[in-house]
Amino acid sequence: MNEIKIKSKNLNVYYGEKQALFDVNLDLNEKEVTALIGPSGCGKSTFIRCINRMNDVIDICKVSGNIEIDGVEINDKNLDVVSLRERVGMVFQKPNPFPKSIYDNISYGPKIHGKGETKSELDEIVENSLKKAALWEEVKDRLDEPGTGLSGGQQQRLCIARAISVNPEVILMDEPCSALDPIATAKIEELIDELKKTYTIVIVTHSMAQAVRVSQKTGFFHLGKLIEVGKTEKIFKNPDNKMTQDYITGRFG
Amino acid sequence: MTKEERLKKRHSAEKRFRFYGLASIFLALLFVLILVHNIFSKGSSAFMKTAINVEVFFDQELLEIKNGASDDEILEADFFDITIESLIKVYPAKNVEEEDALIELFTTDAEIEIKRAFLENNNLIGKKINLEITASDDIDQLHKGNYPRDIPEDRRRISDFQLVIYDNLVENQKIVKNFNNYFFKNGDSRDPELAGIGGALIGSFYSIIICLLLAFPVAVLASIYLEEFAPKNKITDFIEININNLAAVPSIVYGLLALQILLATIQLPRSTPLVAGITLALMTLPRIIIPCRASLKAVPPSIREGALAVGASKFQSVFHHVVPLALPGTLSGTIIGLAQALGETAPLILIGMVAFVVDIPSTPIDPSSSLPVQVYLWSESAERGFVEKTSATIMMLLSFLIVMNFLAVYLRQKFEKRWN
Repeated sequence: MNEIKIKSKNLNVYYGEKQALFDVNLDLNEKEVTALIGPSGCGKSTFIRCINRMNDVIDICKVSGNIEIDGVEINDKNLDVVSLRERVGMVFQKPNPFPKSIYDNISYGPKIHGKGETKSELDEIVENSLKKAALWEEVKDRLDEPGTGLSGGQQQRLCIARAISVNPEVILMDEPCSALDPIATAKIEELIDELKKTYTIVIVTHSMAQAVRVSQKTGFFHLGKLIEVGKTEKIFKNPDNKMTQDYITGRFG
Repeated sequence: MTKEERLKKRHSAEKRFRFYGLASIFLALLFVLILVHNIFSKGSSAFMKTAINVEVFFDQELLEIKNGASDDEILEADFFDITIESLIKVYPAKNVEEEDALIELFTTDAEIEIKRAFLENNNLIGKKINLEITASDDIDQLHKGNYPRDIPEDRRRISDFQLVIYDNLVENQKIVKNFNNYFFKNGDSRDPELAGIGGALIGSFYSIIICLLLAFPVAVLASIYLEEFAPKNKITDFIEININNLAAVPSIVYGLLALQILLATIQLPRSTPLVAGITLALMTLPRIIIPCRASLKAVPPSIREGALAVGASKFQSVFHHVVPLALPGTLSGTIIGLAQALGETAPLILIGMVAFVVDIPSTPIDPSSSLPVQVYLWSESAERGFVEKTSATIMMLLSFLIVMNFLAVYLRQKFEKRWN
């Protein structure tokens, strides 16, 4: 068992009057893939958006409770979200490359964080990030072409490469394959398997099969509550909770 | 109703709608065509002017200057006598009245035109040259066919004797049509043949530049702040509603405001492009903010999230990603706002730009006119020569507006980036 990287304690999230998360206590292990499953609107995306404080963008969103990364509280007004997001990267449901060249898409993050002072350092970061995202071979001859011109699957890998480029510790993935076809999905899943050697990964998914394939640990959310969490094998073979059982066998959701 | 009947009804409803749509478009095009035709048929003749070929003898005795005189000496010299001498030789006149009638065929600036020819070549003393002297407004209009000659003499501005001279000049091919450079070069004048839009063009240009310099940065910064940084609460809602209201305020109200504050209180110089520019900037501000905010809003939130997720600050995500994407829309909104400002008349009349200004303004604090106000001024004048000038000025104004609107469309299409 790996060490605990991220620890949430009594995490509550409100969108205005509506409460979206209720007392979530969830530990995520280092260099492991944790899958979060559950029906739509159950709060799994809300949960991962707390880990890089992406909910700050939403005016009406209020977060209470604690989230610690390496034992340091991040849900703290005085914490610099810019350096937090440098450590915690994110990949979104819909590929969202910047409407710039492939090269600029990757080099943007390192540039704003002052990594890669020279052109050759930047070149190296771009090449390494694309290699880690298994995209280098496909795009190495056209780095100056717009990132938006790639196929959906390539765009999503570009977004993964963009997240990797700032050398984070954690990568959050919010349904990264929901807009992709099965072949592109398979490539991303292979990639996730490879990336977990270096990064702590949290993935939100609607596909039970995907959770089984990529994750070591699975958490099941329902109506804003964490119903059950455990080793992926156990959750899918022998869940403790009746609701989890019903969800994974497709009786609701 | 059977299924067939229902289907038929649905199809005929669609056909009816298509017909109404086409009819509306046709009607709109028809109105545009009538307008354009009216303006062109009246205005196109203003770009030509009528001139009469006159033999000018630079008599040393009358001029009292020598060959090779300096420019100052020439400007000082009196060309009136040789002008009169030359003009009356165009047709044999029997008495002073007939000579006066002859001189009336020419512009009041005939002396200046002869002097100008001499300035270009100061070795003409004792020589005879042929000059094309601009004709008076009446002859100009007669020659362009805008002036009826079959009405009784006492109701005509041109006497029978002058008509005889005119016909004689036409027969001898002494009357020519030239490009009307006065129309573009000169300021306003009481004489239609000398009046031009030079002053109005410069005045409009200064006004629009001042309007752009004031309105664009303020509007862009206000839009970015409101759209990206301001908290969404009652105060920002209130501001938003008021911006929309300001965009709908009649322009004359801005004129009153400028009259009260800029002219009466701050005492800025009246009738100047500076005041016009500030007034137009106030008016244009909300009209730029609205499209500017719309184009910021049109940038998908996923771009902002993507930037924030790699650790960009709010400021970086806005200025590195959102603003560049919103720029084409912002620019075209600005240009369209400026085009509206260019055609604005009412507030400028209130701040005194309706004054009769002959001089061409050299700075934005000189009294000046502007294109739309010039149209208004000339449309009120009685002389026939101003009718064509009014339409020609509208043509100039419209062509500027068309160029600006095309530029707006071009910029938007050229620089707009597509995402996904």
